[in-house]
Amino acid sequence: MPVAPLILKDFVKTWELHSVKPDDTIHTAIQKMLEKNCYTLLVPRKDKHDAYGIVTKKDIVSKVIAEGKDPKKVKVKDVMSKPLVILTNLGLELRWVAKAMANSGVSTIAVFEKGDFYGYVTEMCILEGVYNAMRRARLEQGAEFVSC
Amino acid sequence: MELRDLVSGSKPVIVPQNATASDALQSMIDNKTDYLLVDRAGPNDAYGIVTRWDIVAGAIANGKDLAKTPVLDIARKPLVVMNNLDLDIRWVAKKMTNEGISRIAVFDKETFLGFVSDVDLLRAVLVKTMTKKGV
Repeated sequence: MPVAPLILKDFVKTWELHSVKPDDTIHTAIQKMLEKNCYTLLVPRKDKHDAYGIVTKKDIVSKVIAEGKDPKKVKVKDVMSKPLVILTNLGLELRWVAKAMANSGVSTIAVFEKGDFYGYVTEMCILEGVYNAMRRARLEQGAEFVSC
Repeated sequence: MELRDLVSGSKPVIVPQNATASDALQSMIDNKTDYLLVDRAGPNDAYGIVTRWDIVAGAIANGKDLAKTPVLDIARKPLVVMNNLDLDIRWVAKKMTNEGISRIAVFDKETFLGFVSDVDLLRAVLVKTMTKKGV
């Protein structure tokens, strides 16, 4: 185990999210995901009283394809999750970020700092975070990696 | 009707992390409240929340001994938070349904404003329908 706890700020992704309109079809969303190689798409809001939505690969696989629906006929607004699941404490430990995902049953959480969008964290980020911590701990111990 | 109209500024009662379920129940009854905030260990930890329902469903229904069950076993941690005060109450209700909870912590930027409960939501809807009727 590393000495310093692994916190949200260490493994959050701060890349901008690509967006997709609520009336677009799932076909368009899949296309966008594969073109941009980014499996989380933001659904923008209409006005300030509206909420942001999010559509992920999991939504598409479990709510469209597994149900045998035609991706060209289903709209993004029917499968997206809205409002976003958010976290605001950038110092939160990895364990509780994972717990928040498990509690809410989602794979992506938006992260806000001081009211502004900061980034997002996915299941993959959690795994990468754990892997990095393990690897760092072993390097600090002086263990030699015999690779290549 | 927006989220900012719902927030009540009342301060939640805090229970320490190492408390048991019976401590929590005692504190709820003493303070005449149906939920408690579970304190965190440090800045890298998360706050939790435990409600009357958590004690009923999480501890009593499972036949657990309240005096031996740590409150963290039945608490929901981390909190569900919202920070957009302009949000329509429809989405607040949707959030509660999605998460299966009855209380949401509301933050304005960094300051904690308070909790919004399902009862606050219902009260707001009632007021709205009454003003529409002109009562």
